[in-house]
Amino acid sequence: MKTPTSLDHLIESLRCLPGVGPKSAQRMAYHLLQRDQAGAKRLAHALTHALDTLRHCEKCNSFTEVEVCDLCLSPKRDDSLLCVVEMPADLLMMEQAHCYRGLYFVLMGRLSPLDGVGPREIHLDRLVRRATDGIVQEVVLATNFTVEGEATAHYISELLTPRGIKVTRIARGLPVGGELEHVDSGTLAQAVLERRNVS
Amino acid sequence: MVNANKTRLEDQPAYVLHTYPYRETSLIVEVFSQEHGRLPLVARGARRPKSAVRGLLLSFQPLALSWFGKNELRTLHSAEWQGGQPLLQGKALICGFYLNELLLKLLHRDDPHEQLFLYYQQTLQELARRTDHAAILRRFEKRLLQELGYALMLDREAGTGQQVVAEEGYRYVIEHGPVRQSAGQNGVELRGKTLLDLAVDDYTDPVTLQQGKALMRTLINHYLGDQPLHTRQLLKDLQQL
Repeated sequence: MKTPTSLDHLIESLRCLPGVGPKSAQRMAYHLLQRDQAGAKRLAHALTHALDTLRHCEKCNSFTEVEVCDLCLSPKRDDSLLCVVEMPADLLMMEQAHCYRGLYFVLMGRLSPLDGVGPREIHLDRLVRRATDGIVQEVVLATNFTVEGEATAHYISELLTPRGIKVTRIARGLPVGGELEHVDSGTLAQAVLERRNVS
Repeated sequence: MVNANKTRLEDQPAYVLHTYPYRETSLIVEVFSQEHGRLPLVARGARRPKSAVRGLLLSFQPLALSWFGKNELRTLHSAEWQGGQPLLQGKALICGFYLNELLLKLLHRDDPHEQLFLYYQQTLQELARRTDHAAILRRFEKRLLQELGYALMLDREAGTGQQVVAEEGYRYVIEHGPVRQSAGQNGVELRGKTLLDLAVDDYTDPVTLQQGKALMRTLINHYLGDQPLHTRQLLKDLQQL
């Protein structure tokens, strides 16, 4: 039996999602059409709406529906501090930790030399413009502690340090409340290498 | 049972060259192992937050890996931290990416290169501890080409077999070797001294370093075909900042 064209098209479109192969796409399509047509309508509407209204904040580059997002406009934030994170989820984690009162810049990615993602692909020029507005004094690098996150942090520090901006990197080591017995060897080894004076 | 044992390998010294996300929570890990060369492994569940191998599957760190399977894509069973290699940072890290890109693009899968593995290990140690990165990279490139079967002829002229003279000018012709500068128009121009320095890995002369870089770039481009090297561009971008 030949699959109708519109069904084929739906299955093919669902495959653009990460981790969705032909089988999963087919399962999703049948579910939406057969079991949950209301859900399917909601999904279609939400997608169109999000695509039409969402854009990148002029200041922090995260998703927003207005020109500059609420967080960037908040008078309670310290605008001399700028924290660089890879993804919006990282920004949310930083906020949940209640440890930081400055502003953010979301890269929406990271340098990944082996995948061909270079400084141009993640628009580091926008970060430079943001960080050199004359108000930002210190840039806190909170990219991931993966090799790609480290490469990104290094590149950004090479970009900003010559422009007279203080660049700092969040620390790494044992987790708070962590026990040596249960920590992974890589973390422990690096924590010993990066040990500091107790004064 | 017998079959399963045959396809299982335990505690193989190896390095992670690159990882790609795979399905919802897994990773494909491209590794360079001492005895089995470059091969892809799937690390099931490695992207889950509590995964035991999550913090271990880092590039540039010596690991002992166990895997099983008969297909091209084998399954990672366990990874053990071997240690002794500080994490690469800053420029050294970008140089490390360059080594990995060369290995990913020039080594064939399942082709063992034990000498090259040991040399890669030594090179990573040097990158972490020293700052003469250019000399370290040139030496690695030379060894890599040699291991791939494209060893460079450096101290003798191609064709005639005459000893290279430090004061003379030469051209290095790809897949042939050095010829006297007057003998043609093809090839990379360099001094006799550069050739002799490269032969003994002496990179103290800045001209040798500069001409050696041009020579290696031409040779590596030739063997890569038309594949671009992304890390080379990144190193260039960094230098221009």
